[in-house]
Amino acid sequence: MGDTANLLASVFLDTISYWWVIIPTIFLGLIVGGIPGFSAANTIIILMPLTLSMDLQTGLIFMVSLYSAARMGAGIPAILVNIPGTAGAAATPLDGYPMTRQGRGQQALAITFVSSSLGGLLTTVVALATMPILARVGFYMHSVEMIVVMLFGISLIASIAAQDMLKGLIAGFFGLMIGSIGTDVVYATPRGTMGFLELYDGVPLIPALVGLFAVSEAFIIIEKKVILTDEGQAAMANPSWSATFEGVSIALKRWVHIVWTSLIGLIIGVIPGAGASIASFVAYQQSRTFSKTPELYGTGHPEGLIAPESANNGVTSGTLVPLLVLGIPGGATAAIMLVVMQFHGVSFGPSLFERQPEVGYGMFMAMMVSYLLMILTILPLSRYMSRVTTVPTIYLAPMIISFTLVGAFVPREYMFDMFLALAFGVLGYIARRTGYHVAAILIGVILGPLLETYFLRALKKSQGDMSILFSSNIGNVLWVLLVLSLVLPPILKLKRKRRDRRLATLSGDYQ
Amino acid sequence: MIRNKHMNRRELLTRGVATTGMVMAAPSILRAESYPSQNINVYIPTREGGGADRNFRAFTSVWKEKLGADFEPGFYPGASGRVGYEVFMGKAEPDAYNLIFGNMGPEVLNWAMKEPNFDINDYVYFGRVDTDPGCAFVGSESKFTSIEEIVEEGKKRVLNVGTSRMAHPASIGILALGEKTGAQFNLIPLSGGKNTIAGAVTGEVDFSVLTSGSVIAAGDSVKTVLVFGENRVGEQLNNAPSINDHYDMQLAEMLSSRAFAIHRKAIEDFPERYEILKSTFKETFDDPKLMEAYVAAKGTPEYLNYGGEEECAEFVKAMLELGAKYKPLLTGA
Repeated sequence: MGDTANLLASVFLDTISYWWVIIPTIFLGLIVGGIPGFSAANTIIILMPLTLSMDLQTGLIFMVSLYSAARMGAGIPAILVNIPGTAGAAATPLDGYPMTRQGRGQQALAITFVSSSLGGLLTTVVALATMPILARVGFYMHSVEMIVVMLFGISLIASIAAQDMLKGLIAGFFGLMIGSIGTDVVYATPRGTMGFLELYDGVPLIPALVGLFAVSEAFIIIEKKVILTDEGQAAMANPSWSATFEGVSIALKRWVHIVWTSLIGLIIGVIPGAGASIASFVAYQQSRTFSKTPELYGTGHPEGLIAPESANNGVTSGTLVPLLVLGIPGGATAAIMLVVMQFHGVSFGPSLFERQPEVGYGMFMAMMVSYLLMILTILPLSRYMSRVTTVPTIYLAPMIISFTLVGAFVPREYMFDMFLALAFGVLGYIARRTGYHVAAILIGVILGPLLETYFLRALKKSQGDMSILFSSNIGNVLWVLLVLSLVLPPILKLKRKRRDRRLATLSGDYQ
Repeated sequence: MIRNKHMNRRELLTRGVATTGMVMAAPSILRAESYPSQNINVYIPTREGGGADRNFRAFTSVWKEKLGADFEPGFYPGASGRVGYEVFMGKAEPDAYNLIFGNMGPEVLNWAMKEPNFDINDYVYFGRVDTDPGCAFVGSESKFTSIEEIVEEGKKRVLNVGTSRMAHPASIGILALGEKTGAQFNLIPLSGGKNTIAGAVTGEVDFSVLTSGSVIAAGDSVKTVLVFGENRVGEQLNNAPSINDHYDMQLAEMLSSRAFAIHRKAIEDFPERYEILKSTFKETFDDPKLMEAYVAAKGTPEYLNYGGEEECAEFVKAMLELGAKYKPLLTGA
């Protein structure tokens, strides 16, 4: 125990001495994370010759810092201009962007920086302390259990639909239909691809994401002078540091919220194949379910911003656990890291911590130090970043369109994806103008294919027997929790209304 | 002495045509002499971070020195490799600056299941990098410790077997074992090598089948119990027996085999470039650095196995025949 503590302390101090690598990498990560289409994974691939030429420790610290910073960076354009940089940030604009429009962009950025950093830091410590236990999560979360986890995320459609049930459900089912385009996961038979080869691997997420959110937003904001509301313009007229401190204070007051939503991210992150997009939607949905003010979600509510940002940074540390303990990368970036580390002669798996403990612990320490340095370096920038919202839309809208189209092109380098982003943009514009919620469509597009994958896998295992869905104890507990999370809020709401009515009657009697 | 000679019309025409011909031909002559004058784009029909990625980087790190140009990978996953091939055949210029690095095992089996949109004779595998036998393996915490235990259990109940994709040589290997022993195996496609390993390790499936190179790279998280070919690496595959020796079978080796391929049109239009590619590819195998690169990348040097156009063509033919035989089982028909 004492030896491990000494080792951890020495690795931590050693990692801090690499600040000269971490700080520039943080800025690189924030930039690539913020540009749609770029990500830590493709940046590591592009810079692989550089990474391979570094010594093991420097390369490791570089990759981990880039990974953490890119995750946080994806939230910045999601908040400021409604462009989620990655699928993991898709739930961020739900409340982040309304805050920006109200002139609270600076607070929103401060909230996201604090909740991302604290969420990432906390989950890294938890992951480090409970690694052997966490690594077991994947042993219990198989296709049946994952179906229920997916349904937790998809049930967010029902919450969104609460304002207009019919339109919400139509949008959600439309998204699920779009999500089913591509080849099936068992026999690779193309479905709904309309002959487009580019759709064989399913509807690509980034063009769908930037089209539905950003391009449609650009079409809408061009009708106004600036993206800010009248109150927002008044609030932004006199920018000051106090807005940043207010954001920090809002986030810190909700530390419990940061803790439990980041833990949702950590647990989903350790399941191989699950990812930040699932975690952020599930965290948002759970946050809304257990909130005393669920009606505020979607209107610029800080908790609606904290939940997805804490969760997606929790995923970052979570994906390292199966990589280090089992040798199974938990996500795309972890898979690329695996390749680079193997080139450096590192063998992952159960015996890594016996053979090369400095590598195993070093990855977590690099993540901790990155989050610590990130909060110090990025927080002061929130005041300046938020100024982008005051740029007139005649400049901002074309910039959004060009950035997003480039972003749509980058991941696969297909011209088709740029047209697809525009098509989703038109679809999003029509949806908004006619009162359909684009987030409901997007949830279907993102989570639909994952749900189908797990569903078909479970049915293939049972050879078509549907009772497999209720064959596991953990799965059954999750089913009960899912039903409760859907049924309890309306019951509690009804109770609250009755209580309020009773109180009103009582106060009327007294008067 | 300067001769004062006037050029007549015929001479002018002859020299003019000759000069024009030379000018027209110059770029291709120059290109041929200087090939390669730019990096080579390589289409990889799987995701980055997998076995193909690792294998590609190790091999090209040496080949680029012989060729004098770097290789730029582009990853085009989807539909069990079909997307990468369709993009390569449909969009890449057939100029010998575009190659595909595929797996002749599962990807050719795919064509036997469902023909692609292009003629499969329009591309040619010319450089085999390795031959990697498939294997069956369990997670390190599995209750199964040997293939006998698996077969015994498979006679009592249907066992779920993880596989990278339905049409995979290793899938055929386990189905053949089922036919021989009467054990019942239900293939569960888990989309890629990493997920197939994860499926066995976490207990999503009873055990998995995959190319053994990827299983070796997974380290001590897994234990191999049977090889669908010769076990050339002994301890690295836990001394697992060969299917033919163990069950007295005559099954052909169920191999994955990564190889570089080129458009047939590029071979016809630029034969000199094709020769350069082939000769430098062969030279790469003669360089001891290749072995070092493979060891450094956690690859399996024992599987390095040079093959030219002829060997590749034989392999493709065998795969197509195998695919036709097992098509009903692999397509659920």
